[in-house]
This record gives sequence, structure tokens and C-alpha cells, in this order.
Amino acid sequence: MTESALNTEALGKRYGQTWALRDCSLELPAGRIAALVGPNGAGKSTLLHLAVGLLRPDTGQVRVFGRDPREDPDARADLGFVAQDTPLYPDFTAAELITMGRRLNPRGWDDSIARDRLARLGLPLDKRVGRLSGGQRAQVALALALAKRPRLLLLDEPVAALDPLARHEFMQALMGAVGEYGTTVLLSSHLLNDLERVCDHLVLLHTSQVRLSAPVDDLLASHCRLVGPRTPDGAAVPGVAEVVRASHTERQSTLLVRTDGPVDENRWTVHQVTLEDLVLAHLGTSARPTASEVAA
Amino acid sequence: MIWLTWRQHRKQALWTAAALLALAAVLVPTGLAMRSTFQDSGLGACLRALGHAELVDNGGCEALSQRFGNKYDSTAFLAVLLVLLPVLAGVFLGAPLVAREVENGTHRLVWTQGISRRRWILTKFGLVGAVTLVLSVGYALGAAWWLEPLADNGLGRLRYLVFDVQGIAPIGYTLFAVALGILAGTVARRVLPAMGISLTAFIAVRALVELFARPYFLPAKTLTYAIDSPLMANRFAGSWIYQEGVRNGTGALVLPDGRIGCGPEGGDSAGCLARIAQDYGPAPLTNWQEYQPADRFWTFQAIETGIFLALTVLLVTVAVRRVRRIS
Repeated sequence: MTESALNTEALGKRYGQTWALRDCSLELPAGRIAALVGPNGAGKSTLLHLAVGLLRPDTGQVRVFGRDPREDPDARADLGFVAQDTPLYPDFTAAELITMGRRLNPRGWDDSIARDRLARLGLPLDKRVGRLSGGQRAQVALALALAKRPRLLLLDEPVAALDPLARHEFMQALMGAVGEYGTTVLLSSHLLNDLERVCDHLVLLHTSQVRLSAPVDDLLASHCRLVGPRTPDGAAVPGVAEVVRASHTERQSTLLVRTDGPVDENRWTVHQVTLEDLVLAHLGTSARPTASEVAA
Repeated sequence: MIWLTWRQHRKQALWTAAALLALAAVLVPTGLAMRSTFQDSGLGACLRALGHAELVDNGGCEALSQRFGNKYDSTAFLAVLLVLLPVLAGVFLGAPLVAREVENGTHRLVWTQGISRRRWILTKFGLVGAVTLVLSVGYALGAAWWLEPLADNGLGRLRYLVFDVQGIAPIGYTLFAVALGILAGTVARRVLPAMGISLTAFIAVRALVELFARPYFLPAKTLTYAIDSPLMANRFAGSWIYQEGVRNGTGALVLPDGRIGCGPEGGDSAGCLARIAQDYGPAPLTNWQEYQPADRFWTFQAIETGIFLALTVLLVTVAVRRVRRIS
């Protein structure tokens, strides 16, 4: 059995009366590149902040390689974090940020990782990062997180504010680094397209709860779209564990289902689904999705 | 962490140094001028001869003192500016410490590195506090030097504003202001509101202690002397006078805020006494004052500083707890 990089049990966080994250139990095995997906306000940032120890859980617990990220300094050393909007001190140069990282991480830091990455990208080390472009700042933030040599790297919507080219370059840099160091990654985004190509694990949050948490291959293998004669909602379909989403015309039903056995292929035409179909279908089930959620 | 603190605050440090130098550029020349007038006019020697007894034969210093006062009493308004300095440390050094990080989101960068945020906040407060402590010691010594002639010339070191800018009290005020600024930052989490809160709260706490606590640190003493006594209360003793007046034989305060002297040097002491008794009777009439004597200066300083240092410890403790809850 592989080691678990991130493990949460009944994890919950509440702001006043509102639960930002509720009853979240998931396990992310080491070595995975996981996408954390969900509409805005689903609790993605809350989950990441809990995992990185910025927040204290109200219920349950979170463990990073078996350690409490809030209390255990070793857990802090294992974690790399790139926060939303990649905050950096704008009046620091990249070189100064690297010095800062070295001084704030006595348990493990490698200057050369950050320097080499930035040199390869042609980023100036002696320019204030406030004068860099958004994409360049994101690269600096990533380089800083990687120089910590984290075993688990968490990224909160790192590409949300970037243009498509910068987004592509960032993902490329991230994947290159992950391949090089074997880091486990949990990356949140509401832009599924960016993640689909690179992630092998999916965590789907919706309305503060975990809807899915599984390897992408398993999800794609277990989900399919069935097209067949009109079937009333709620009717049992052999081989189907759950109808995630159904739509009907007068004579025909289209079902996006999770299967648990062979489906009658005489009755149904079976289509493969994409990750995006699957995510959208799951987002549509628990609550009536709003326009923005569908867009997400 | 020390490197980071210096790197983040070096600009503030330079500005602070520049502002203090500008202030010194005003205070040093006026202070030197004041001190040389004080000595050259003979006032210094006269007051030294008079001594600090509470009752003295008020003699020739009065005219010299008036002349000096006319020239320099108005410069004492600069002490008002000096009183404001500690709150500036709170507003410009304390308030942004946490608030700016949270406002820019950089707390998520710095608090996810290898050191705990408890250590982060304590190091930052420790270093900023140490620097402001050194500055406030220099400020207190400078202010004491500058105000000395004015204080000696009847103002006294216990008086409001004069007390507040010298001794060890400014250390307490400054550290308190910084701690208050940091705590305000953890509450407001944005720089400008944090500055506003720390400014208002600092003034409120200072005013409360100054007006409602400091006068009661020690029970006031009373000084009484007959109106025909050859000795009068020493205006240059440096006492902090709460109330004074003249009481008659029944103990009633018949002349608030006044003194009567029917001493022998005026000539007709008996006639003077009789006239006064007619107006204010019955005899015996006594001059009366309720006051804190000048030699309690350091006791008052210690109590005042103790209060503000205790508040500082409290505020820092609360701020550290609050910082742990920010995400």
C-alpha cells in the first residue's frame, strides 16, 4: 500500500453558522497529481488552508504524511504552498525572496532549485517582483515553493489570473518539476481544461462537501453515458450503481451513470465520457446548479 | 527571521531616523538657547540657592523667573508634539505589521514556510519593540534635557505633558503603542482601519490613565501654613498641585485657587490679618494646598510604566492568539 500524502477525516470548518467545508474525508496517496475541482465557494481554498495548517479545523483532523500540519514542524517542512494570486512581497527581488526562503526554512531548503528554475526561464533575479508580469510572479512563487523540497505541494488556483500562454507555461513548469522530484501535488482550479491533461487523481468539492475523490482512470472507467429507450427516473438499470444525471426526450433517455457491472448493450448504446462531462454531471446532481457553476 | 524583519522594515527605520533627526534639528538649538538664557540670566543660580524646600522665603527669583517664562513658556507647546511620538510608533510600525501581510495575502506565503507563526510574530514584535525601546529611551533623555529649564522654572516634572515625555514612561507608552497597533492589525486585517483603531485606542487608554488613575497612584499630601507665616509655598519645588486655596477657622475653603500672604515683610501684618478676617473669618486663616511632592516623580514613573508594560504583555498575548486564527 502506498503512503498517504494527505489524509482527512470528517474534516470541517465553519465560519459563523456557515460550513465552508463539512465532513470531508479523503485520502491522497503519495505520488499523485490531484486536481481539486469545484465551483467558487465550494470550499477548495478552505481545504487547502486546512491542509497547509493556515486554518484550524472545527471538526475532524487533517494529516500530511501522518503529521498535523498545524502543530508539527516536520509537517511544515514537508509542505509547499502556492497561495491564490501567488502573493509575494512586491518590493523584494527574486534573489531576496530566495534568501528569505533559506532563512525561514532551516529544516530544508535548496537555493539552487529556485535559482536554476528562474535562470532557465530567463527571469531576472535582481528585479523587484512587483515589476514582473503575473505569469513571471507565479513562476517565482512556484520556484520558492519547490526550493523547500516539499513532499506535498499544494497550489490554490495558481493559474486563475494568468493569460492562456502563461497558464500553459506554468503548468509545464509545474509538471516538469513534479516529474523531476516526485512530488505529490494537489492543485485547485475551476478551469478543468488545464487539469485534465496533467492530473491522475480528482477531488471534486461541491457545496462544502466531497463529491468525488478517486484516480482519474478509475473514474473514467466506471462512468459512461448510456443512450437508450426512454426510462423513467428512479427505475433500476442493471449494472448501474448510480444515475448521476439523466435527460430525456420523448422516446429516448440519456443517462450519465456510474457502473458497477456489465450493462445490457442491446438496450443501451454506451459512450465514453470525458472528465469534464463527469464533473459537470456530478455538480448538477446535488443541487440545481447556477449559471456560474455550470460555467465552472 | 531577523534578516526578513530588517529587510521588510528597513525603509521604515530610515524614515523614523530621518524624522527624529529633523526633530532634533529643532529641539537642539532651542534647547541650547533656553539653557544658556537660564544660566546667563542668573535664574539657574537663583533657583539653586532657593532650593527645593516646600516652604521658602520667596525672594528674588520671581522677577528672573517671569522674564524667562515670558520668553520661553510658549515653546513648551513643543512638548505636545513630543507626547504624540509614541502613538506614531503604534500607527506606523505596529498597525501594518500583521495588517499589511493579511491585506496583501503575503501571510499565506510567510506562514507556510518552515517556522511557526508564533515565532514569526514574537520575533517581529521583539525586534520592532527593541528598536522602539532604544528610540524611546533616547527620546525620553532628549525631552528631559530640553524641558529641564522649563520644568525648573516652576512647571515641575510631575505636571501633565512634562511627566509624559521623560523618565521611563515613554518606554511603556511606545511598547504599548506598538503592541496595540499589532493587535489592531489582527482585528481589522487592513492597514488603514488598523491605524485608525490603534490611534483612537491609544489616545483613549492614555487619557483614562492620565486623568483617572495617575492622580490616585499615591494619596495626595496637604500643605498648610498660616497666612502670616514668613514662609510661602515654594513655586519652584516642582510639586504637582491638585488644589489650593485659603481655609478659615471652620475649615471652609473661602478663597479657592488663591493664596494670602500677610507676612512680616509686607509691613502691617496685624492690620492685614484683621482685614482678611473681616472678609473671610473666622480666624485662624491658613493657606492650604493638596499636592504630590516632586520627590515622588520616579515612583509615579514606575507605576505609570508598569501599567503600560502590563498592558503591552496582555496585548501581545492576545495578538499572538489572534494571529494563530488568521488564515
